[in-house]
Amino acid sequence: MTLLRHDLHTLTGAYALDALEHAERERFEHHLQRCQPCSHEVRGLHETATRLALAVARVPPPQLRERVLTTAARTRQHPPVMDQRPAPKPRSAWIPRLAAVAAAAAVAVAVVLGIMQSATQHQLDRVQAQEQAIEAVLTAPDARIVSHRTSVGGTATVVFSEASHKMFVTTAGLPPLPAGKVYQLWLIAPGSNRSAGLLPAPSGGRTAPVLASGLAAGDKAGVTVEPAGGSPQPTTTPIFAIPLAG
Amino acid sequence: MDGMNPRDMRAPEPGTGPQERDDRDLDWLLARVARGDQTAFEQVYDRLAGPAYGLIRKVVRDPAQSEEVAQEVLLEVWRNASRFDPSRGSAMTWVMLIAHRRAIDRVRSASAETQRNQKSAAVAAASPDEVAEEVEANLDRERVRRCLNSLTDLQRESITLAYYGGYTYRQVAGLLSVALGTIKTRIRDGLIRMRDCMEVTW
Repeated sequence: MTLLRHDLHTLTGAYALDALEHAERERFEHHLQRCQPCSHEVRGLHETATRLALAVARVPPPQLRERVLTTAARTRQHPPVMDQRPAPKPRSAWIPRLAAVAAAAAVAVAVVLGIMQSATQHQLDRVQAQEQAIEAVLTAPDARIVSHRTSVGGTATVVFSEASHKMFVTTAGLPPLPAGKVYQLWLIAPGSNRSAGLLPAPSGGRTAPVLASGLAAGDKAGVTVEPAGGSPQPTTTPIFAIPLAG
Repeated sequence: MDGMNPRDMRAPEPGTGPQERDDRDLDWLLARVARGDQTAFEQVYDRLAGPAYGLIRKVVRDPAQSEEVAQEVLLEVWRNASRFDPSRGSAMTWVMLIAHRRAIDRVRSASAETQRNQKSAAVAAASPDEVAEEVEANLDRERVRRCLNSLTDLQRESITLAYYGGYTYRQVAGLLSVALGTIKTRIRDGLIRMRDCMEVTW
């Protein structure tokens, strides 16, 4: 088994260059979903392959531009792929927001499940408690979800309930920070910034939900880059600041 | 910003090099394209058509077929822009993956006759000189060439046959008469060396 794993792992290079046969590619993609170091490596090797591609760029035939642009203008686009995991059952009051909240729930559950794969019992208890708190935010009648691109790349998603004064934040694709730096979450209000904790290390590019309570009217949720351990007050410009109001 | 002392604020500065800025512009343009913005698509075309066509031409060789494949790829970018996920890699890489995959679909489904032509073409592709020949005023060219030249012959040949030649690593092993396991590891450690040599960040 160890040998097989090792064997699969060395396929990252051939996979990144599309040099696997069909069946092998499927087997490796299956492995990739469970092997975070492999997917991390593949990502870097894909970016490397892109440089090989850029090195052979050449001027396309001039007639191609017109043809592609006019055909595109007549071609219907595909809708975004929504998460296929089963959504929670609708509850009357918040049906209009269900799709968005369900999507956030799927993200949160996926992140939590990701963590659970490598957790001890003690960690599992904590995760379970956190999961209940997240569920409480998600199922609040006034739950709202806002996603935003950050100024450094990647996206931040905030789910909040004004009525229960709670929120949680997940992120995807934030750039890794140099050693000694962390992402810190804040409740931002004029004259009153409160730390809501540090974002955990990402797993599969996503950070697990960070919960905060005590939202007040006019608050924004924001993240700054701070020295390890966090700061009492923000010392850099937030990479996003999302208003927490209906 | 809201209650923060501006003097204390320094923008975080990960990824401010030209490559990263370009990548982010392209991400932004693709988000516009996903919403049906044709002007954004024109800009995306102007940024991507050269790299996509060059890569496809390298693999497919035949100009007419390459043009067809490039058209398919660019229209796929238009249709599927909403499915691009910036958290999973750069926009350029997303498009180059589509372009490479469509190109190898074309050559791998082609007739045995065409495949024989591919074989001689691919062997030629293994020469770094040819890389230089096809590129004009391309900033990446010199660096890629220098980094390719820093690899062992076997690493370099395996990578160029697989990527530019569109061969499976099994076929590469056959072409070079080297054991399968060796090719597999040479492609991987060669690419890792390329990644480090070109200081690829992701």
